[in-house]
Amino acid sequence: MATPAASQRPPQPPPQPSRGRPLRARTAWSGALIGVGIASFVDETVFHQLLHWHHFYDRSTPGVALVSDGLFHAFGWFAVVIGLVLVADLRHRAALVPRALVGGILAGTGAFQLYDGTVQHKLMGLHQIRYHVDLVPYDLTWNVLAVVFIGAGAGLLLGAARSPNSASGATS
Amino acid sequence: MHQQQDGRLALLAAGLALSGAVAYVLAASRLRRRGDRWSPLRDLSFTAGAAGLVAAALVAPPGGPFTAHMAQHLATGMAAPLLLVLGRPVTLALRSLPAGGHRALLAVLRSRPIGVLTRVPVAALLDVGGLWLLYRGPLFAAAHERPWLAALVQVHVFAAGLLFTSVVCALDPLPRRPGTVARSAALVGAGAAHAVLAKLLYAAPPPGTGFGAPDLAAAAELMYYGGDLVEIALAAVVGLRWYAASGRRLARERRRGARAEPPASASYGQ
Repeated sequence: MATPAASQRPPQPPPQPSRGRPLRARTAWSGALIGVGIASFVDETVFHQLLHWHHFYDRSTPGVALVSDGLFHAFGWFAVVIGLVLVADLRHRAALVPRALVGGILAGTGAFQLYDGTVQHKLMGLHQIRYHVDLVPYDLTWNVLAVVFIGAGAGLLLGAARSPNSASGATS
Repeated sequence: MHQQQDGRLALLAAGLALSGAVAYVLAASRLRRRGDRWSPLRDLSFTAGAAGLVAAALVAPPGGPFTAHMAQHLATGMAAPLLLVLGRPVTLALRSLPAGGHRALLAVLRSRPIGVLTRVPVAALLDVGGLWLLYRGPLFAAAHERPWLAALVQVHVFAAGLLFTSVVCALDPLPRRPGTVARSAALVGAGAAHAVLAKLLYAAPPPGTGFGAPDLAAAAELMYYGGDLVEIALAAVVGLRWYAASGRRLARERRRGARAEPPASASYGQ
């Protein structure tokens, strides 16, 4: 009795694993993690290490800003690694939504940059973007760019939420 | 006299690290002769960690006195523990020890002190809390004058680093298996505390000491960026372990799905 059932199976393709259910929200969150990581990486390498605009620690920073900065610094490295692992897992499940990923990355980058530029630099008084110059154009560029990133990311995320079948894994 | 005692303690530490590496390689080769699979990468990682400990004990790193001290601390408290833990020494010991030793090790692993120490917050607090006591309290200045206290501090830095790394990586069988979220939170929290401490050291030396400003700045940046490197490596271990577990879950779901799903014609037969 068992054998006929087994012999019926071959004509049917094995349960297709590469057509996963698109996991939009998870894709967007992994993108956001990568975005926060990218923003904190760019901040560290470009502005601290290459340009030397930011100070490592300008000695006037209050404790709360130092803690906030340290937390985001540690979280940034962690976020980029975990975000990439999540993307790998979504691809493995063929549940990645490319548009949601890009949207998440842009929104995450923008959100962190805006937080850095407003709360950390201005409200908490962490190191400034640059020293011995008029700060207004720097602050404006920094924060306007952040808002643009968030807007573009939000647009892509909305688009991904509207289009019904946008999951794609290893195959397009 | 201090110098001499320092030298003897350093030799002892180097000897212990070296014998640990020899024991590891002997146990691993015994496992392989028996036919078990044991990746040579684990041997490589463990022996590299032991070599790092030997180097930290015997070689005086370049730079100012505080920078040199910081390089030693990074090696003994972060880099070496990570390399040792990647070698899964407890797993190896459990597999290669004779029955009596195996039982004894299991008893130790299941004992109450180990159960408390391997709780995520306890391990994190011992590791980073110890650092804060050392650099923001009078401990550093006190250890500067007493070699035995300095040696004790080094042992604590290594042991706490090893404990924290084992708990975050969760590669060896620990009494409790903390979840990915708890281990991730501990990693980010400890990384943040480490970064904040590095920045504070940049501005002010440990109480009771008078290191030069350039030495202090170099040491603080070494601590900050060196800590980052190890944190990224730890995050990669946590992430890849989660990825592997998620892949196994997916494979299980597919197998179950393939079994539960009736053939297409079956529904018509009912």
